[in-house]
Amino acid sequence: MIGVWHYLAVAAVLFGLGLVGFLTRRNLITMFLCAELMLQGVVLNLVAFSKFHGNLSGQVFGLVVITVAACEAGMAMALFVLLYRRAKTLDASDWQGVREDQIPAAPEEAGPPMAEPAPAYPTLTPAGARPSAGEEAPARV
Amino acid sequence: MHDVTMPLFAEPPTTSSASQVVLACAMGAAGIFLLLPRPSGRKVALGTFLALAGLGVMATFMLDAFGKPEKDDVGTWLFYLFATGAVGFAGVLVAQRNPARGAIAFAFVVLNVCGLFVLLAAPFLAAASVVVYAGAIIVTFLFVLMLSHARGHSPENDRTREPLLGTLAAFAFIGLVLFGLYESRPEYPFDVSVKVIDGVGHEATAISPVPTLPLTPHDKLALEQIARKLADVADGDYTTAKQFVDATESIRVELGGVLGGIDGRYRYLPRDRSDIPPPGTWALDRARDVERKSKAVENALTRSPNDARQAVRQLREAVLLLRGSSELPARNVANLGYLLYSEHLLAVELAGTLLLVATIGAVAIAGRKAVPA
Repeated sequence: MIGVWHYLAVAAVLFGLGLVGFLTRRNLITMFLCAELMLQGVVLNLVAFSKFHGNLSGQVFGLVVITVAACEAGMAMALFVLLYRRAKTLDASDWQGVREDQIPAAPEEAGPPMAEPAPAYPTLTPAGARPSAGEEAPARV
Repeated sequence: MHDVTMPLFAEPPTTSSASQVVLACAMGAAGIFLLLPRPSGRKVALGTFLALAGLGVMATFMLDAFGKPEKDDVGTWLFYLFATGAVGFAGVLVAQRNPARGAIAFAFVVLNVCGLFVLLAAPFLAAASVVVYAGAIIVTFLFVLMLSHARGHSPENDRTREPLLGTLAAFAFIGLVLFGLYESRPEYPFDVSVKVIDGVGHEATAISPVPTLPLTPHDKLALEQIARKLADVADGDYTTAKQFVDATESIRVELGGVLGGIDGRYRYLPRDRSDIPPPGTWALDRARDVERKSKAVENALTRSPNDARQAVRQLREAVLLLRGSSELPARNVANLGYLLYSEHLLAVELAGTLLLVATIGAVAIAGRKAVPA
């Protein structure tokens, strides 16, 4: 028997995983997907309570949340395009310059410097097997 | 009175569940921490193993704390399938280095959550989620990814910011919420078999699942019918006040009979252990609540008709809570549409305005402005 507690637990885990991603990842798009993941957890809560209470108000609230998520996605995409045009990057850490005075910059994780990936050269299609010098050899004069 | 096969030195149930939550969160946090992309290379095998083990412990905790599944119940298995899929793909989204693959993982999370929506009797919301998220939002994300394709090494994908602190904070949050849910669950440890003595003196040993309250099927059926009648009364057209009062009174009399039965059965319950409230306590609490709401209806009848209708609606909700798991109306889309355009009209208008403003804002932000010469 699956009760409302099961759904609340799953929603909490989804929200928490979204929180991990939002706090740690640096790609703006990944961060935003993680925020959407948190919203999914919240909507799951609302719908579970709707079922448990036997009225549809939770589902109506869920619809409103989806609408807000869509608006948020549109605005965020526009902002990302704008930021990309300015700095040619989607890295959130490149915008640390707009932080307040007293706040220290987030430290870069220690590790070897990033190596440039090897350039990919075009390769030729391998030719077929070399024909054996057999019967055809006399023809090749 | 207890199950005699219970081991003597078994941990008390709170401790074992709390340790399960702590273990699941610690393993999940360690797994995700190891899986997060970092320049020095990540430990994929160990991280995946730890994350999956954490997921397993979490499933065990849910089975122990909130009730075991019935083997022949398809809904139960579907729930575990969709829940595992959603959480698993969410983990992939968080740990995935390539944002395009992350977007696809998010689409799968949405599909799994939509499966949960269908299980929760919300088919319209499931369809809307698929259309809006998997259809529109993911495609927009992929467009932006293609427009802003970074060449060479990309620190934003291969490095993380404060991975240890972020992971610890989020998993501490998960653990706290899970433990809060565990503390607020309705009854007593569920896999402890209890002896229930019913009204006529028959004894039965039962393993109580959640949230099935120890009500008889007869009680449940009666409560369902009462709830349906209350809904009819709350939204019905009555030409005279007397008709309304009569309809309400007859339902209240019927309800009184059912409540009396529940009260008589569960008032004097044998207590097995001092730390476990006897089975039926929750039902008894809910029944008292229904009784209070029923009194409130009687008082509201002397006031304005709107007050009375409101009180009847509240009584219906209390009755449905007493029944345990309530029934949503059939024809989900029709009912949802009716509700949206009757009771939540302002919310619909606001959502539409918000969409319009967001569209204008997005165009205004991202449109290329002509540079003045």
